[in-house]
Amino acid sequence: MLVNVPGPWSPLLGRLALSEIPYTNPILAPLFIVIVLAGIALIAGVTYYGKWGYLWKEWFTTVDHKKLGIMYIILGLIMLFRGFIDGLMMRTQQALGDGPGDNGMKLMGAIHGYLAPFHFGQIYSAHGLIMILLAATPLLVGLMNIIVPLQIGARDMAYPYLNALGLWITTAAVFLIMISLFVGDFSHNGWFGYAPIFEMAYSPGVGVDYWIWTLELVALGTTLGSINFLATVVKMRAPGMTWGRLPVFTWTAVSANIIALTSFPCLQVALALVGADRYLGTHFFTAGFGGNLMLYTNLFWLWGHPEVYFVILPAFGMLSEVIPAFSEKPIFGYITMVLASFAIAGVSWIVWLHHFFTMGMGPYVSTEFSIATMLVGIPTGVKVFNWAFTLYRGRLTFSAAMLWSIGALFLLLIGGLTGMMLAIPAINYMVHNSVFVVAHFHMMLLCIVYAVFSAIIFWFPKIYGFKLNEVWGKIMFWLFSAGTFLVFFPMFMLGFMGETRRLDWPFNPQWGAWFDVQEIGIFVYVLSVLAFLWMLYVSIRDRHANRVHTADAWGTSRSLEWLTDTPVPFYNFAMVPHINALDEVAWRREHGFMDKKPDHFKAIHMPNNTPIALYIGALTFLVGFGLTWRVWWLTLASLILAVILMIYRSNKGDPGYIIPAEKMEEMDRESKARMLSDDSHQVPHGGGFSGGTVTAYAALDRDASGPLTPPSDSRHL
Amino acid sequence: MLFRKFTRRGKYALAPALTLPLAGCAKGSPWWIFDPKGVGAHASFIYMMIDVGVMLAIVGVTALLIVWFMWKYRKGSNRGAYDGKWAHSNTLEVAFWGIPIIAVGFLAWAVSVNGSFAVNPYNPTAVTKHLKPNGDPIDIDVIATDWQWLFIYPQYHHIAIANKLVIPAHTPVFFRLTSTAVTTDFFVPQLIGMIDVMPGMRTKDALMSDHLGSYQGIAADYCGAGMSWMLFKTHVVSKADFDRWTQMMENNPDTMSYQQFNRFAEPYINVHEKTPAWGRVEPGLFDHVMLEVMNGKKWPLPMFMTENMFHYLKIQAAEHRA
Repeated sequence: MLVNVPGPWSPLLGRLALSEIPYTNPILAPLFIVIVLAGIALIAGVTYYGKWGYLWKEWFTTVDHKKLGIMYIILGLIMLFRGFIDGLMMRTQQALGDGPGDNGMKLMGAIHGYLAPFHFGQIYSAHGLIMILLAATPLLVGLMNIIVPLQIGARDMAYPYLNALGLWITTAAVFLIMISLFVGDFSHNGWFGYAPIFEMAYSPGVGVDYWIWTLELVALGTTLGSINFLATVVKMRAPGMTWGRLPVFTWTAVSANIIALTSFPCLQVALALVGADRYLGTHFFTAGFGGNLMLYTNLFWLWGHPEVYFVILPAFGMLSEVIPAFSEKPIFGYITMVLASFAIAGVSWIVWLHHFFTMGMGPYVSTEFSIATMLVGIPTGVKVFNWAFTLYRGRLTFSAAMLWSIGALFLLLIGGLTGMMLAIPAINYMVHNSVFVVAHFHMMLLCIVYAVFSAIIFWFPKIYGFKLNEVWGKIMFWLFSAGTFLVFFPMFMLGFMGETRRLDWPFNPQWGAWFDVQEIGIFVYVLSVLAFLWMLYVSIRDRHANRVHTADAWGTSRSLEWLTDTPVPFYNFAMVPHINALDEVAWRREHGFMDKKPDHFKAIHMPNNTPIALYIGALTFLVGFGLTWRVWWLTLASLILAVILMIYRSNKGDPGYIIPAEKMEEMDRESKARMLSDDSHQVPHGGGFSGGTVTAYAALDRDASGPLTPPSDSRHL
Repeated sequence: MLFRKFTRRGKYALAPALTLPLAGCAKGSPWWIFDPKGVGAHASFIYMMIDVGVMLAIVGVTALLIVWFMWKYRKGSNRGAYDGKWAHSNTLEVAFWGIPIIAVGFLAWAVSVNGSFAVNPYNPTAVTKHLKPNGDPIDIDVIATDWQWLFIYPQYHHIAIANKLVIPAHTPVFFRLTSTAVTTDFFVPQLIGMIDVMPGMRTKDALMSDHLGSYQGIAADYCGAGMSWMLFKTHVVSKADFDRWTQMMENNPDTMSYQQFNRFAEPYINVHEKTPAWGRVEPGLFDHVMLEVMNGKKWPLPMFMTENMFHYLKIQAAEHRA
């Protein structure tokens, strides 16, 4: 039943062989050595400073939504960098390889530029997959993870353990795609894959298998996360936080996660069928034997288009938080803003065919999907107008966060203009697979990146207690924007010059000058990356000077997350506040209630840390690796172990622990004192195992007030 | 000119390629999309201009509004009155929904519906309205292999040519398209929009051009390692020249049976821009190929085929010497 693979296979190692390690590659081999040395240095450093226990207790086993969010963001930033390096290599290849004939360089076996098709294909495929699913998605999920519970006045997510599981499975996907650099190769067929080129006959290597299992893992992680977000927002809102008072960012998180929950399974099914074709020899998407290759394209984009709104909606939400804060005004048209988010989410389901107008469906079908696609422009237009009129009659402060947000608006305008061109079949036929499309969706995805940088700068002080350096934040903004202009304006122009996507060899010498401009743009991007790192360094160095001593770091913030102490303690709110208005913090500031302290404290219930999520994440990596290389014993063993761990955890459950009221009062006092002090140790201790003085009891009733009697299986930590 | 000096190709000046898009109307323009030479491509271009005009009116005004608000309401400059409560206006919100609805409504009718029929690949009215009662449209069968194009002219004794397309001017040309191994796109930027070619399936498209000349054809969708080299020049020639060319082709003694096609369709990267021709291919080759693919015929790729292109070219030279 199993498909015979070309090349050797052994029961012990599957398709693995020494020849699969590209130790002769002049880029990968030194990179591997650098990574190994850096890894050794990191491990040695952690060991020298004795931080393994800290890392284990506070980070690896944590279920705290803020720490998981921070780890998501770190993961996303690292992958953003990796994806950027891929982009740099692609731009360099086209700048070097343009024009007729052999350029005489004879680098790395390429007759044009320095990347042969074998390498170039892997790079743009990895670039797309990484940027969308392993950079944008973790960054947005991370920010939602941190901010959504704070905005609704919850202590944690509804399912803290599930949250950790989502992070570690996504991390497993990251490890899988990173290891494809050094063991074997990655898919050549673009981030979305084509039928039937990903079939065994046309992609005989392990690249497509890496691609399938990376996508499957990240899809699994994101689906788990979306269940969690929806449950959290529906069930865990603070008293008084009615739906009509929900901040716009939380609303966009709801709409985005409805999309994720309903669409990711589509992707998982589509990829499982690709897997069946490649592993079991079925014919779902083959050209012959009754397979239907168009079916794959439909199934993939049935997920793929909702997915792009899954990533853009939270970004819209971030703009809706940052722009009012720095305009000192409420968001204009709150209700239409929320309606527009759901309109976008709803329409996202009926537009997928515009990804393949050129497949040749009739004009009736084309028109239907064309108009549906244009409908997206209506709520998006409404949103842009609303943001514009949030500025109107405001008092605008152009802080770094605000600059990034306004930059995102302009990218959105360009992306919208070109999106309305692509929505029309008659125009689409001329530019469908050209770099014009690439430039269009980079405008949209960079809109997300701008929103994410805006959000990171905006919410950073809430989590760490000090602000990022404004000057370097702005320098980075201008460098990044210059890079964006220099790379993507030429790309639009190249689209009009007829350059199609994914050309290893751009054959037309007339494109050459634009490639050179793009290459300059890429170097400006490099400078902006350096500015970002320097911003982090300067901010951490000057953290005492940039200390925030108030709950409301910017003085003009509006929503609930700015009510609690800065930095946010692990329990979020010492007493869950009662919500009185949309923009609660603005309302309290206006009515002089910002410094109102609770007159009494209640015992609270918190979840325990657990390493099981980390173990299961590691096992899913082994499952993916085993499947990729067809090492059946490894796959089966890891899968069985993961299932056993899941059953074990489900039976055991987590009773959590109770922090008594007196202890809460004491911790609240400490937290307030820390906020006012210049203590540089910002990240407060959190999680179930820390702070040995906390008396913890298994809870029977999380809403119990008054003295709790320890149940029989209570543990003293 | 960043890298040009390190290579052997220093002859392409920076200035001409950086000229404004508006210069696209000049002859031999590099702005292929702005310089359509086929009726379908021209229709697409007109629709693009309408769409961009309408959208630019909205997007441009919005951008200017944002810039103006940024200037006027900047904190500390006291140019505009601050109203920290103002967050709703029925009039404005009706306008905010109304303007995009009207714009989308207009574009849906004027551009989307009309355009979809004008350049519908199966029956493009932009081309078919030029059909004359006694004019002879010509049919061309297109078979994409990994990674070459084969063009067959069934009305002209099944002559065929690879990687080069010759069509008469002022004559509607109807294509049937399929592929042997994987999916790609048939695309001549100045003449005809993209249409997928898929293995085991048949798509159609049509074009007509009134402009003699030679236009670049591209395999526009990713179809494997040889895609960048999967190019074909499309020559639009006068009717008399076309007749001369078909005469010459019919005298070509080379023929192609399905078995020979089978060999031709093996993975081959056309680095040297070869355009072999055949005086006659097996009649019905197009349908034969499609049926074979539907029955599971494949032309598998070797592993690591293009990891080293110099190595590949040696193999290619050895295998295709005959």
